[in-house]
Amino acid sequence: MANYLAQFQTVKTSCDRIVAAVEDVSDLWPTVKGLFEEHQPLKRAFLTNRTRNPVLVENLPVEFILTTDARLRSRSPQEQYLFWFREPYATIVLVTCEDLDEFKNILKPRLKLIVQNDEREWFIVFVSKVHPSNDQATKSVKKVYAKLEVDFSSKKRERCCKLDIHGPNAHFWEDLELKITECIRNTLDRRVLFYEDEIRKLTEQRFMPIWNFCNFFILKESLAFIFEMAHLHEDALREYDELELCYLETVNMLGKQREFGGFDSEDDQATLLKPGSKPLTQIVQDDSFREFDFRQYLFACQSRLLFKLNRPSEVSSRGYSFVISFAKALTLHESVLPFCLREVWVITACLALLDATASHHHDGIVAPNIEKELYRLQGDLYSLARVKFMRLGYLIGYGTDIEKSPLNSACLSMLPWPKPAVWPSLPPDASSEVLEKEKTILQATSRTKHFGIQRKPLPLEPSVLLRVANRRRASLSTGNIPEIFDGRTGFTEGSGLEASPRTPSSRKVQAPPMSRTNSSPGNFESPLDRPMRLAEIFVAAEHALRLTISDHDLLKALSSTQDFEHKYLNLTKGAAENYHRSWWKRHGVVLDGEIAAVCFKHGKYDLAANSYEKVCALYAGERWQDLLAEVLPNLAECQKNLNDHAGYMSSCVRLLSLDKGLFSPKERQAFQIEVVNLAHSEMENPVPLDVSSLITFSGSTGPPLQLCDGDPGTLLVTVWSGFPDDITLDSLSLTLVATNNTDEGGQALKSSAATVLKPGRNTITFDLPPQKPGSYVLGVVTGQIGRLRFRSHSFSKGGPADTDDFMSYEKPTRPILKVSKPRALVDLASAVSSALLINEAQWIGIIVHPINYSLKGAILHIDTGPGLKIEDSYGIEMERYVEIDCDAGASKAEVSVEDSPVSPKQDSEVLNLCDGKIVFSEWASNVSSILWVPVRALSEKLARGSSSVTPLKQDILEGMRTVALKLEFGMHHNQIFERTVAAHFTDPFDVTTRVVNKCNDGTMVLQVMLHSLVKVNLIVLDAWLDLQEGFVHGKSEGRPTSTFFPLVVSPGSRAAVVFSISLEKTMSSGKDLQLPESILNIKYEINGDRAAGAHKPVDADHSGSDSERRALVFKSAIVLQRPVLDPCLTVGFLQLPSDGLRVGKLITIQWRVERLKELKGSEAVEQQHDEVLYEVNANSENWMIAGRKRGHVSLSEEKGSRVVISILCVPLVAGYVRPPQLSLPNVEEENVRSNPPGPHLVCVLPPLLSSSYCVPVK
Amino acid sequence: MANTACFIIVGRNDIPIYEAEVGSAPKREDAAQLHQFILHAALDVVQDLAWTTSAMFLKSVDRFNDLVVSVYVTAGHILFNGIKSFFQEVHELYIKVLLNPLYLPGSRITSSHFDTKVRALARKYL
Repeated sequence: MANYLAQFQTVKTSCDRIVAAVEDVSDLWPTVKGLFEEHQPLKRAFLTNRTRNPVLVENLPVEFILTTDARLRSRSPQEQYLFWFREPYATIVLVTCEDLDEFKNILKPRLKLIVQNDEREWFIVFVSKVHPSNDQATKSVKKVYAKLEVDFSSKKRERCCKLDIHGPNAHFWEDLELKITECIRNTLDRRVLFYEDEIRKLTEQRFMPIWNFCNFFILKESLAFIFEMAHLHEDALREYDELELCYLETVNMLGKQREFGGFDSEDDQATLLKPGSKPLTQIVQDDSFREFDFRQYLFACQSRLLFKLNRPSEVSSRGYSFVISFAKALTLHESVLPFCLREVWVITACLALLDATASHHHDGIVAPNIEKELYRLQGDLYSLARVKFMRLGYLIGYGTDIEKSPLNSACLSMLPWPKPAVWPSLPPDASSEVLEKEKTILQATSRTKHFGIQRKPLPLEPSVLLRVANRRRASLSTGNIPEIFDGRTGFTEGSGLEASPRTPSSRKVQAPPMSRTNSSPGNFESPLDRPMRLAEIFVAAEHALRLTISDHDLLKALSSTQDFEHKYLNLTKGAAENYHRSWWKRHGVVLDGEIAAVCFKHGKYDLAANSYEKVCALYAGERWQDLLAEVLPNLAECQKNLNDHAGYMSSCVRLLSLDKGLFSPKERQAFQIEVVNLAHSEMENPVPLDVSSLITFSGSTGPPLQLCDGDPGTLLVTVWSGFPDDITLDSLSLTLVATNNTDEGGQALKSSAATVLKPGRNTITFDLPPQKPGSYVLGVVTGQIGRLRFRSHSFSKGGPADTDDFMSYEKPTRPILKVSKPRALVDLASAVSSALLINEAQWIGIIVHPINYSLKGAILHIDTGPGLKIEDSYGIEMERYVEIDCDAGASKAEVSVEDSPVSPKQDSEVLNLCDGKIVFSEWASNVSSILWVPVRALSEKLARGSSSVTPLKQDILEGMRTVALKLEFGMHHNQIFERTVAAHFTDPFDVTTRVVNKCNDGTMVLQVMLHSLVKVNLIVLDAWLDLQEGFVHGKSEGRPTSTFFPLVVSPGSRAAVVFSISLEKTMSSGKDLQLPESILNIKYEINGDRAAGAHKPVDADHSGSDSERRALVFKSAIVLQRPVLDPCLTVGFLQLPSDGLRVGKLITIQWRVERLKELKGSEAVEQQHDEVLYEVNANSENWMIAGRKRGHVSLSEEKGSRVVISILCVPLVAGYVRPPQLSLPNVEEENVRSNPPGPHLVCVLPPLLSSSYCVPVK
Repeated sequence: MANTACFIIVGRNDIPIYEAEVGSAPKREDAAQLHQFILHAALDVVQDLAWTTSAMFLKSVDRFNDLVVSVYVTAGHILFNGIKSFFQEVHELYIKVLLNPLYLPGSRITSSHFDTKVRALARKYL
């Protein structure tokens, strides 16, 4: 059966669709062929899949072939059986007949003969060529068709359908499709069953010696092919999968080891997507196939089906694992395969997969996660190809062009070298190439890193190439190897891994001189006997690779450094791009970094910087500092070359803020020097920079600083500097942020001009201007170094220095400052509430009471109001004030004494007022004190006595004086407290007089009552009267009996002094010295405490001894009136009617005026003596008056003459009201006597109910 | 066989909070950095996997030549990279650290006690 392999191959390629045979009985095919082929492919076909489930297949193509066709006729039964899949799936019998007899006699037997073969699936298409207008013929045809149906269709299965060439046929084509589908389905089922049966039989023999994989393969692939023809790709794929499994099982069976393959030309190019690249007959070996080719073939078939199923991502994923597992298989056979075939094959396989999947993939038609997966796989394939490509490049000496990055190092240093049986040796004519290589090796100087960073470059080799290559050379015994390394220092024997602690570049530099000791260049006596030099290894590898690689593109890519780099960049870019698309940002960004390295090498700093920034952002964001430390210097160098000062400085700062262990102190100092130099260089614009990671700060430990509203202060802030050396800041400021008010930016506090930050902890003092009330946290530290403006947001924990690398930005920040709401800090009050003596020098007490606030150095401005004057000649006394209003007073005082440690003894002193202000002493800072200010209230007014006749109104404001006080206190006298203190001044006495008795001899007893107005005892020493005109002293000469003195008048009490006076008989108006008023003089003393109220005047104390002391004299004016003696007129109010007054009722009110005595010339002032002017006054709300209110009535001058004045009134309101009053304006009041003498009331009744008056309503 | 292992605890936001090079192989100077690099890249895989399964131990999520990356994800999405029973024990240790009121979750673990314990566990299991 295996002999049929070649035929099988051709059969397979020659037929690609399902065949339906056409048995053309009545020569109809040429007529209907066009119509049949028009209705291809089958639109909807329900077929049965491998698991016997119905599957809908759309657009299934069917090829119609006449049974007489050579293709079908020429096959032998053997062939038919073997390649059953290409035999027809349905037989369509085309007939026509218009005559029933003809049908019965000729057609029917013939048809019976055709359809008797049970193997075939058949049905009859009856074609009617009759025109519908021909009724006769139509009828006949109908009869024939009916007969046909009766004969060939059964209940189970309709086997006939009718095509009217001239009629409408829509139904027919559906019918035809159904019938063909039915046939195909049945045939398919039968054939699948048959093949499966066969396969099962073969599988059972699998472990027998006669088993032949090729036979199994043909059956299995035939089945797969049947499925594929029926568009059941899924099932076909499964067949291939099973085939692959089976193959892998058998190929690895012991005792059946076969040739692997891979020695043909172009085998280095992967054919994993080209099923037809090699005919199967070529790869067959004994009873099986060569693994190298067959596995690729199987994968190619699978991927073809997968592409048909539109699953490129599955091709990728299967492809990736296929490449990996196939590469493993290649590794097993590496010793026999051409040099580096594995690497080359992997590269070409990856690239082929990438091309194919990319061309079959269209964005957006698959689910996002599948798409993501596809991109990820593309990325994987790209990076796999990239690694292998780098490996090849390294082998031929392009290692210097490969960046020694972590990625490349990780990829290459852990990937073992190829292990050929014999390392390729140098071709004989290659000496010039060797020289060339050596030259490039010599020229390749390892790039010194910026900042002088001394870092061992990461390795790109798993072990030293020189050693590996030489060891694998056939002629060189391993014993010679140590001598290769003779010239090297620091070589550590024993470790098979990276043996040299030195850099690869330095080794390369060392290699040529070393070789010179062994042999002079150009003179290769016997290259086989001595160890190869590195350049020779490179050249040998290059030659060997040229033999291996058949792909021109790859060859070109390895032909020169530029081409190598171009390809390398392409692969890297492809990988990066795909990883980014699949959201594998870490992979993508890292590869970006590799692209950046290439750009960097070529001086494309802007591109490089862009990519490096991405890499740094990734590592920095995730804080993988070790990795960051590798990339950041590169970024910095790019930025420096681009003159990106801001970026460069920021990079330097970031370098400084990395873990201290990552760079040596020297390197860190270099970073700092760069920052400082750049900051002080001539940059055009100031550069802002965030140094949060480098300079952190925190408030001092302990409770926050508490300040009162409006107070300045100083704030201590701990600043941690991450700079390795001292750094001088031109300025440093700090913002405070109010916790309750975030929208306000916060105020910047400036530190003193230049600050030097030591590495580690520094304490900086900030002056704090007055802040608004609230609680504040540290905001931002800003500062300037040269043109560099830096800011830092990070609060360090303020803990020990080794933990401050972690920024606790998540921690709620502790308030550093609390400014309390405005509150009373001090109180000023008047010490005495009772009245002081007016016109005397008195102490006015002012209590200064600090409320938890120091009054150190406070200044009190004293400004007296009008009528008050400070007695400058006396000092102001200040003393401790102790409240004595409660029992605790004494103990309180003691406490307060202890509270003021400055001078606990001192608690009083005399201060001098200058420019209206006094300065507080130290001792008074924290304790309540009282200030005694000597003042004098000035009043020009003479005190006036009052009598029952002339009551005096006491004006409370008259004795009021004010003192405006302004206290400036606080550290910078920023706090101001103002208050106006009122003091009450008064005369000592209130004097009331009355005449208590009139004696017959004209002497009057005048009682003078003294009412003490002050709160202390007054001692009256003497009292005398200076009388006014018209009065003279009685017997006592104006003084009361002296034995009563001194008279003590206690506070609030009254005393009385009695004087006898008499009227002066003779009116001596000519006397000039007579007083207009009488003056009462009282000489008194006062013994008061200034803390209680009125007291002895200030100056009294200073006037020396007791005897000489000045008594106080109080003067008060007293008005004495001569008595009224001669009423001239009398006015009498006449009785009102008895029925009373009623609202609204008219009434006549009458007064009688009578002259009591005749008028005497001087007393009367009227011009006309016989007339009297009267006036009626009434409250207009109560009374309505009709008639003359004012007028003259005649009254003769004679004594006893009388007249009645009457007036009409209407009372307006009910109740007791004052009646209208009659007055005589032209007559002195003292000359009129009224009856009744005082005001009186009358009763007004309410109006009657029937009253129709209009009453004004209030 | 001499083996080498790098054990890293990765905090939320992918920040490494603890690192230890454990294993018996003679130390290669550059190994630490390469391991870090590989583990960092493996986070790409982990981020895809972590939400698709409820298992804490993700077995070997990534392979890099002959290095295998295994991952253990705690409920709070802290990643441990290394081997299952080792992971479980270290997880317990980590929880103890987490219970320390002075330890700020997400910051570096600097406790020397933790370090010693982890290394002891590594000797026991790896």
